[in-house]
This record gives sequence, structure tokens and C-alpha cells, in this order.
Amino acid sequence: MYAYWAALGLLSLAASAQTRVDPRALSIHPFTGQRGTTFTAKLRGTNLAGASAVAPNNAPFQITIEGIEPEPLEPGITRRTPVDLVKLRVTINPDAKPGRYPIRLITRNGISNALPIHVSEHAQNIEPEGPHESRDNAVRIPSIPAVFTGKIARRGEADYYSFHVAAGQTLTFELLSGLPQTAAGGSAATIPNFDPAITVYEPAGSWFDPARLKRIAYNDEPVWVIGKPTDAHLVHTFDKAGDYLVRIESFAGQGGPDYSYALKIASGAQPPSWHDTPGIDDRSWSRRIESTRLTKLAERGGKQDKHPSIETYRATPEPTPVKLPATIEGTIAQPTEKHRTTFRIDKPADIAFEFESPNAAPPFFNPLFRLIGPAGDEVASNVFAGRGACSGAMTKSLQAKTILPLRELGEYTVEIREATADLASPDFRYRLLIRPQVPHVGRVQFEIDALNLPQGQGKSIRVNFDREEDYRGAVIVAAEGLPPGVSAVAAADYEPDRDPPQNLGKRERYTARSERVVLVITAAADAPASTQPHEIKLVARSLVDGKPGAVLAAKTFPLMVLGK
Amino acid sequence: MKLILLLCALPTIAWPAAKVISLRTVPAQATIQGARATQQFLAIAKFSDGAERDVTAQAEWRIDKPIAKLTGTARVAPLADGTATLQATLAGAQARSLIKITNATASQPVSFRREIAGILTTRGCNNAICHGGVKGQGGFKLSANALYPADDYDWILKGGGYQVLTSEVKGERIPRVDLKNPQQSLLLSKATNTKPHAGGKRLELDGDDYKTILAWLQNGAPFGDKNAASLTRLDIFPSMAVMPLEGQHRLLVTAHFSDNHTEDYTHQALYTINDGEVASVSAAGVITAKRRGETAILVRAAGQLASAGVGVTGAPLTNYPKLTSNNFIDDHINDKLRRFQILPSDPATDSEFLRRICLDLTGTLPPPARVREFLASRDPSKRSKLIDALIGSPEFVDYWTFRYADLFRVSIFANALSAKGMAEYWEWIRNNIDTNRPYDEVARERIAIEGYKPPSRHFLPYAVIATPQEAMGEQVRVFFGRRMDCAQCHNHPYENWSQDQFWGMAAFFSRMFRMGSIVMDHPTNMDLGTKDVGGSMDLLHPRTKAAVKPAVLDNAKLAITPEGNPRRELARWMTSHPYFAESTVNRIWGHFFARGIVDPVDDFRSTNPPTHPELLAALGADFVKHRYDLRHLMRTIANSRTYQTSHKPNSTNRDDVVNYSRALPRGIDAEVLLDAVTDVTGLPEAFSTAITDGATVGQAPTGTRAIQLRDPDTFYSRFLELYGRANRGAVPERSNKPNLSQALHLLAGSTYTDRLSRPNGRLAKLLAAGAPDETIFTEFYLAALTRAPDAAELSELKSVLAQRTDREAALREFVWALISSREFAENH
Repeated sequence: MYAYWAALGLLSLAASAQTRVDPRALSIHPFTGQRGTTFTAKLRGTNLAGASAVAPNNAPFQITIEGIEPEPLEPGITRRTPVDLVKLRVTINPDAKPGRYPIRLITRNGISNALPIHVSEHAQNIEPEGPHESRDNAVRIPSIPAVFTGKIARRGEADYYSFHVAAGQTLTFELLSGLPQTAAGGSAATIPNFDPAITVYEPAGSWFDPARLKRIAYNDEPVWVIGKPTDAHLVHTFDKAGDYLVRIESFAGQGGPDYSYALKIASGAQPPSWHDTPGIDDRSWSRRIESTRLTKLAERGGKQDKHPSIETYRATPEPTPVKLPATIEGTIAQPTEKHRTTFRIDKPADIAFEFESPNAAPPFFNPLFRLIGPAGDEVASNVFAGRGACSGAMTKSLQAKTILPLRELGEYTVEIREATADLASPDFRYRLLIRPQVPHVGRVQFEIDALNLPQGQGKSIRVNFDREEDYRGAVIVAAEGLPPGVSAVAAADYEPDRDPPQNLGKRERYTARSERVVLVITAAADAPASTQPHEIKLVARSLVDGKPGAVLAAKTFPLMVLGK
Repeated sequence: MKLILLLCALPTIAWPAAKVISLRTVPAQATIQGARATQQFLAIAKFSDGAERDVTAQAEWRIDKPIAKLTGTARVAPLADGTATLQATLAGAQARSLIKITNATASQPVSFRREIAGILTTRGCNNAICHGGVKGQGGFKLSANALYPADDYDWILKGGGYQVLTSEVKGERIPRVDLKNPQQSLLLSKATNTKPHAGGKRLELDGDDYKTILAWLQNGAPFGDKNAASLTRLDIFPSMAVMPLEGQHRLLVTAHFSDNHTEDYTHQALYTINDGEVASVSAAGVITAKRRGETAILVRAAGQLASAGVGVTGAPLTNYPKLTSNNFIDDHINDKLRRFQILPSDPATDSEFLRRICLDLTGTLPPPARVREFLASRDPSKRSKLIDALIGSPEFVDYWTFRYADLFRVSIFANALSAKGMAEYWEWIRNNIDTNRPYDEVARERIAIEGYKPPSRHFLPYAVIATPQEAMGEQVRVFFGRRMDCAQCHNHPYENWSQDQFWGMAAFFSRMFRMGSIVMDHPTNMDLGTKDVGGSMDLLHPRTKAAVKPAVLDNAKLAITPEGNPRRELARWMTSHPYFAESTVNRIWGHFFARGIVDPVDDFRSTNPPTHPELLAALGADFVKHRYDLRHLMRTIANSRTYQTSHKPNSTNRDDVVNYSRALPRGIDAEVLLDAVTDVTGLPEAFSTAITDGATVGQAPTGTRAIQLRDPDTFYSRFLELYGRANRGAVPERSNKPNLSQALHLLAGSTYTDRLSRPNGRLAKLLAAGAPDETIFTEFYLAALTRAPDAAELSELKSVLAQRTDREAALREFVWALISSREFAENH
């Protein structure tokens, strides 16, 4: 109780204290390096003055700060917040594993957000000084594979690189953005990011202009999805031997000092170096549906039940009887192909249907199932229908998970197809799990990246979680590793009311019940100021029948207590 | 001097007393079925001047057997069953037709379906401005031109008021007939104006039509055989009636029925003429020429509408020359020119041709070096080689991507409010142009696309699914060149389309649904959550409120399955229908000639007939034969003598704008004109876009041409705004008419003024290289006008320059004058 009132007091103090602005790292250029080499890079950001060290977070490299200077302003330009340039020296271990490693700066304003350094096995080349905006001054790539780092420093800039290929040669072009999409929500058009695009040209000339370039290939990702990279990837086979050019630009011609890129050209058809990691979200199309799923879900519900392994059945056009729980596995390889399976319900049951589509997901592959009841009528599908709040127009969307109670006893038929009548592909693979419902905690999301806490102040951290399949237990969130003088207490945040929707249809089938835990981390007025970040771990657990369950999710983040 | 030479070369104009060389009768044979049927015949004479003229009225007619009689000019009525020969004689020439008569004496009561509906049509009662209008007139509604005789029968016999938005009858039902006192029927008393009638007197008391209606009423007003064959099409002979001033030509109208039999409808049709100053038409279908020109006759009967061309020629030319023909296009064009006694202009000069073909195929002006090279070349096939080079150029791909991005509406607002969606859609178009994908495949994909594939984005204006009527209307306009929109609310007043046909076509798009971010066609046998929100996927007819099923215009049976994509079947039907090929070739033709064979290019309708129907059909057939190859089509057009005709008129074609006897100068589209200014001045345009990534707005890379912009409307450009870029919110209709704002921009706008003082341009480079005045003048003329200045122009320019102290400023003004000139701003 004492801690609670102390925390409230601190919060009121915090409200009257001068606000400290967190350091913000905007971009690093170049942001890639070859293992076993040393290179220098400039990190651009705000409130970085006094940066003393870099926290590389177990990365296979060492970074030292060689200097900090304010970025000179161009004539006629004014800025509300001055920009700092930090010169970094990066030494990558010879045995470093290629990949992305986040780094943060430690400043007198605390620890910054993270930006990635890419470790590559290939030699890195830096775009030479001067313009490369035409065929005449294109940067020559002497051999492939090659990695070039460059920058689209201003609006409308396009960088050209030239290279030679043999007839029939296939190359993979990949363009990584140094300013990837960072926001977690909002409209694609308002999220600052460098979305790069690749165009390949043949210097074939034309009747009008012997120097005219012939555009032969282009790529940009077709879908702008929050949280997914917008990096460009293009595989092209060249019919003719000769010199070609590749043009680098941002989608729609944006540019600026943070628009760094790394161009990777490799022989053969290579997959993108980035790829989706399987989700764990109950409602993601990419989460793995394993034979032990019931046991794992029970664990997330705070139960130690051991469920039998789930049997997998091959999907067929003709109805195949299965015994629940069962996973149906198939591929929609032909347009209008439809698969059917049947199961019996001998007593009332609460059932869950879960789709996994590992190779392609909506909007490219749109798995649709329809449940036909014993009377032959359509009981449910994975289509969530609603009526919009504004116009009342009907909207529909496909869902990876559907739950519903089945009270009518008898044989049910499940039909599976692609939602459209015309699309099909060998990549349209799916697994549909039909199982009894298991109450559990679904998605857990921690809204924290780093925390800079001035002495005598507190900041809140939101933890969002989903109650799945009527999970009725509690969720515990604990902060571990807090330094002396820092404490965590539960709190409640203001939640604004929302206009009720006109008609959400059978929402309970398709959406989880979401809730939120709020933790307030406070630093006592006499808490020792940090010289290095403390690694704090937030841990979420279920609590059922008074017993804490296994860890549902955890997240570590750096925390620094700031002196006055 | 050139003009004098031209006049000397022209054949002399004369009015010879031509002799009849041969005679033919039309139709060559006919079957007359039933006592009420008649058959109109025509006599067509070929004269020594090569012309064919209608001599029906002048010929002497005779029937060799007494089984039929002549009831008017060459109109035959039956007397008894059998066969006979009809003979026409004129100036020693003879021609014969075979007549077969059946059921000549069988009783045939007057029926509503055939006789009464026909009278209502020929008397104009059911036309669009009278009772055939949207709401009818005075509470009395008839279907336009008796399209729905059963409905009309009900309105007449049962009475009641028509309502547009519901099929319920308005007001008390008072019949328009009185079977006990037939002569007191409103149908007669109104039509004869014995009771006040806003439409005035339509029938003469005791006239033939009056008697027919009265007889029908006295006989109990039968509808007739409900299962009788229906009229499906009207054929008009001739499809183009050509006659000299004050000449006459009779029309012959043949009705085709659903059971494949035909009947003469010449005297059961309503005739109207589009331009009454060119010719007039009588109720019997006789056209009388009034002044030189072309127009169309519209013929309506039993719900059908057809049209025929009318041409009134000037004075015949003696020694009409044999015209050059490069391909079948020229054959058709020359044939009509000869019939109309019009001489085509001279072939375009190399300079004229070069500028025109570069603008038409690539939207790009040729550079001075290429102009010099082309003009100097003596290769006789240099034009066709140039056409091939241009069609294979990257500039061609840029330009036609731009043109089709316009037609297919690449626009951030029209494409799901998504810059990405818009860009992917543009890339799809570009790839189709680059690979010269057969156009029928392109059309099928665009009409039927599902999922998230690029063309699907065009079904999502403002990110919501397009309404069925909008989606259908656009596809029909783009790929059929027809505008069905009027039929959305009522039967089309100027076309054969009914409201039912409109909604039947719209129903193909009615199950299109936005599921998440994909476009799909909702199966008809699945609910998929619709009931969860009390919804319905049915498309309801706005008037009858009945669920509408997909139906194509000709009622062809399509294999639509409950779970299939109905648009795919529609796309197959559309791309195999003759409308598709003819509207596509017409659109491309319109691009090259500034006028479609049907014009506007997307306004095909019976009341707007083609100027060259045979050419349109031939181009369509050639397009199909060459697997819908747009490049082949363009190459064929560009290689024709017709395309390569000068824009300079001669004395016979000065007034001609529809026969392609000369090239028609037209304004250059905004984007192309801006690129032309850029090319001539040598100073690229900077295009800033409103599209942002949240941090900055974008800008097209330096050197980007206006025609390369995916959606020009998203780029800031005062010039493009003033000169008519399309916003692509609907199928664009560009207007190249000049306006005052353009004039002000010419004088003070950045495109024309600031640009000229910028460094590194063509002028600055020439000055830096120490080029003499004449070189500078010539270079700019070549760049802007694709020709060198002639001696007079050069002399004038030198004279003006000599008077100026500031040479550079004077040369800037010269460049300004050049790019402000009409010759520069037009494609001619």
C-alpha cells in the first residue's frame, strides 16, 4: 500500500517536472558491413548530444563513437529540433553470422531506440561521391555478387549502377531500406519510411535517342502491410549478354538524408533475405499448427493437460470422414477446386477451426471454409461479416480462426476452397485444424521499446492480451531486473469511449476478447542514475485457480534512470 | 504557286447527261405471306458516270401474272398464291425480281402485336418525346417504339398510370378503349384530336390507320399470337444512300424475325433524319437531297431501331482519277470518296508525315538530327521502315501505356485509394503494351479479374467496390464503345437497349464483393455471413424490385455456375462479340485521324452510325484475324495512303471532315505538349507529387517525361491543369479546345517564360557554341515543327533579329514565339 501511494506521489511530481526528450536514432549510413572488416558509419538522430557508448545487444561486432557534431543546416532551412551526426566505427567479428543486429546509443538523455546493422558475408562497396543519375555516370559494378550502399539524399534522386551479364544469366536484385517501416499502426501514407524500388534497364537506345534506356524489369512489393518490410526484390533472367543498368529510387520519388539503402546483386534466383517468421498469434495465417497444439494451448490457459496428438488427413474432393481433433491438409491447385471432409458431433461441443497457409496468405491466397450442418444448411464460415459504422454497408473479411458452439448433433461437412473462383496455385497450401475449444491466453503485446526514466518520475507501459475461447483466468505481468530505486506498480489508463458499431454480426466467432494491463515504472527521487542501461524483462503469465501458469510471453528492454 | 498547281491538277467539274448502263431490282426475290403483307421493290440503275442511283419512280413496272397487283410505286400486294415475275424497265434496260405468294386469301384479323403496335410507331405515338418517354405523357405510357407490346396492350386495354420507380399502377385504371362503342375509344378520339390531345392530330378520320384500329376494336381488340415470332433486327437497303443534289432515293426496310423469316417493313416503319438540312425523308421512306453533306436516317419499328447513311454529293467530276491504294483501308476510303466525288488531298510531305507519325505513335517529337536524316533519305520505303522503328521503340511503350492508363483509369482515387495499387495497375498496363499482349486477353483479364491482382484495383474507386451499374457501364464503354447508362433508369431513348437489358448486364457485376482487400464474386449458393448482418447479395431491379439474373445483350446462354465467376463468362462473350473488335479498331482509328469512324469513339448507337461501315467491319475482321494485335492494327493504319494524306485541303474537300480526304489538325494532349516544350527547349520539367511516405512528398526523377507519370493528376503542374489532363475519375473525355487561361499561361506561365531563361537549354548550348543565327533558327524549327524555315520565314526572322540590340533576349523571344505557335501546338 505504501508503494502505491508513493508511486502516485511520484507521478504527480513527474507531471510538474520538466519533460526530458528521449534520444532518437533516425538512420545509419552505411548500415551494412562485411564480417571480419571495419567500417565507419554516420548515425543521424536527435537529442544525441553527449552520446558516449553504443549498446550492441550481444551483436557480433564492436562499435566505438569517434565523434559527434551537429548537422549543418542548408541555407534557408530551419529545423525545430537540431539534428546530430554521430560518427561510428564498427568492427565486425570474422565469425559473425550474417543478419540484422540492433544497436542503440547511450546519451545523457538516456538510451535511444534501436536501429539495425546488417552483417553480410560479401564485400561492401560504398556509392562514390557525386551524382549517379544517368547512364553516363552510373556506378560500375565490376563483379557479382556485390553489395553497394548508397543514399537517395534528396527528392527525385535516382541512382544508377551498371553491370555485365552473360546470355541467359539470372540475377537477383535486393534493395534493403535503411529507413524501414517502423510504426505499428496508421495509414501507410503517413508512416515515415524509405520504400525502395528497383528498375532494370538495357541501354538499347531508340530511334529518338541513342542513349535512351529500355526498361526491362521493375519491382516493388505489391502490398503495403503494417510491420512488413517494403524492401524490393527482383529476379530477372537476361536474354542477351551485355551491359545493363539498375536504377534505385524510392517509391513515388521521396528522398532525404535518412534514405540509405543497400543494393545486393547475386547470381541465380535467390529468396529475399528477409522473410516472415512464423507468427504465434492465434489469428495469424502463418502460425504453425502442430500435432501438439491442444497441449500447448492448454499450457497457455494455465493447465498442464496432456492432449493426444492431432491426426492429419489429406484433403480430397470427395467427403472424407475424420475424427476430431483433426487437421485437414491440402492444396488448391486448380481454380474452383473444392475439398470436403465430414465429422460427427455426438454431444454438444464448442469447436474451433484454425487455418494455416504457410506459403501464401490473404490477399494472395484466400482460404475459405464453410460448415454445413446435419440438416444441410450453412452453419458457419470463416467469413466475418459486419456493417460499417458510417454507411452501414456490409463488409466481409476472411479469418484464420473461427470458434462456435455446435449444439445440433449429427454429421457436419466442411467445404474448403479459395474464396475467388479463378485463383489457384501449387503454393495455395493450407492446413485446417478442427478441434475442441481450449480456453487460453492468445496474443500478448508489450508496448515498450526502451525506457528513460528521470529520477522522481514514472512512465506507463501497456500490455495488451487476448482472452481466447472463453479463458476466464487472470493474467499476471511482472517486471524483472529492476535496478535499485525503481519499482513497478499496476495502474489504470484512461480508455476513451467509442461509437458503437451498427452491426458487428457474429463477432464472438472471429475476434478475441482483448484486455489491457498497465504497469507504471517509477524511479524514486534518490534512485541512482544509470551509467549503463539495465536490461528489464517483462513477463506475462496466466493465473488459473490461484496457480501461476507457464510464461505466456516475455520482452526485454533497456531502462536508464536519468539524473537531474 | 502551290495552290495554282493544285487547281490545275484537279479534274474539271461537270454535270454530264449520263446514260443508263444497267438496271437491277431489289430484292431480287421475295416471299409475300398473308393477305395483309406487301413488298416494296426498288430499281437501281448504274450510269455511265459510274454512279448508281435509285430510279424506282422513273422505271416502268409490270407483273407477268395476275396473282399480285401494284398498289403504289413498285409496291406489290398479293391476290392469290403462286409465283410471278416483276419487271422494271428504264431507258431500254430491264431487270426482274421473282415473287412468291403464300396464304394470300387466309383470314388474318388485325392484331395488336403487329398492326396496332406498328401504327403507334409510324405515327410517332410511342417515340421518346411522346408516350414512349421515360414517364410517358399525360399519364399514358407506351414502351419506346413498341419494345414491349404486351405491356402496351395492358396500358391501353386496362388503363392506369405508369411509375418509374415501381411497377405498381398509379391512379384509377381507366381503359383507353371502349369495346362497346369503339369509335368513342380514347385511343381514337385522342389520336384524331376530337378530344383535346397535347400531341395534336396523329390520325385522319377514316384514314387507313384509323380504319385498321377501328376494325381491331370492333373485333374485340385481340393481342394476337403471344407466341408469334418477334422482330429481332431491321435491315435497311441501301446502308448508304448516295445521291446528287435534289436527287431522291427510296429505302427498303426488311424485318428479321426470331423464327428466321423476313418481312418487308418499309411501310410499317418510322423514319427520321438526323440533319434535316442535308435531306428530308417521307413517311414512305423516300429521301430527297437538299444540300451537299452527310447525315443518317433512323428507322424505328416494333421496338427495333436501325440507321442508314445518306450522302448528298456535289457536282460530278469528269475524269475522276484512279486513287493510290496502299492497303484495304485506302480501297474503302477511296471508294466512298469516288462516290461522293471528293478528291483526297495530296500525300503529306515527308516533314508533315514525320511529325504526325512520331506524335501519333510515340507522343514524342523527332530530334533535329533525325529530321534531317529522314528528309534527306531517298529510300522509297523509308516511311514504312520508320513506322516499324517507332512501333518497336521504348517511346511507343511509354506513350501507349499513358494512353491506356487514361482509358483504363490509373488513378490513386480510382484504384483503392492506394498509391501501391495504382502503381501495380499501371505496371500491368505497361507490361501488356511492352509485350504486345493480344488485346482480347487484356480485356478478358480486366473485366473478370479477381483477388488482389493489379487490374482488380480499378474495381475499387475510393476503396469501396464499384456499384454493378458503374462497373458494367465502364466495361461496356471501354470494350464495346457503347454507353448504356441511359437505360439504367428507363429504356434507352436513342438505342435498342431496354432497362431490363441494362440490369441484366449489370447483374454480371452484382456479386462482386470486396472481401478484405480482394475482389471476389460471391457464390450464389453460399451465405458466407450475409445472414449474420441481415444482408442480401441480390441485385434488385429498380422498378420491379425483382432479383435480376445476369443476361447478355443478345440473350446468348452463358455457362454461369453458382460458384463460378460470372464476369469471366461475360468477358468471353464480350471479347468474341463483333462489338469488341469494331469498337477497339474505331478507338485506335480515332486516335490517328482525330475522328472515329463512329464518333465519339465510345458512342456507338443506331442513331450515330459509322461513316464507313464496311471499312469498320474490315478493320475489325483484320484485327480478329491478327489475334487482336494492336501494333498490327496501328501499323496497318499508319501505312495507309489515307493516313499519309496532307492536312492541306483542295477545292473538293475543304468542307469534308468525315471522309478522311485530308488530315484533320488537332490539338496535342497536355502531357504530350508539355513534353514537346521540354524537348524543344532542352530543359526537363520537374514533377513534384502529392504522394507522401509520411516524411516527404515525392518527385519524379530528373528527365521523367509527362507521359511517363503513372497518374499525372497527382503531380503539381499548372500547365497540365490548364491544358486538360484527365483526372480519370471516369473514362476520360479530353478536350483540346483552347481557353483563356492557356493564353495567359502562354504569356506569363512558367512553362513558356521562366524556362527560356534557364541555363543548359538548347538555346544556351547553341549560343555557347557560337552558332550563327540561321543555324539557331533552323535547329529550333526542326525541333519544334519538324521542318526547316522556308526562305521567307528565314528572311523575316533575320530582319527582326537585326533590329534588336540584345541578341540573346531576341532569340529567347523567337523560341517563345515558336512554342506558342498554333503550328507547334497542333498535330497536323
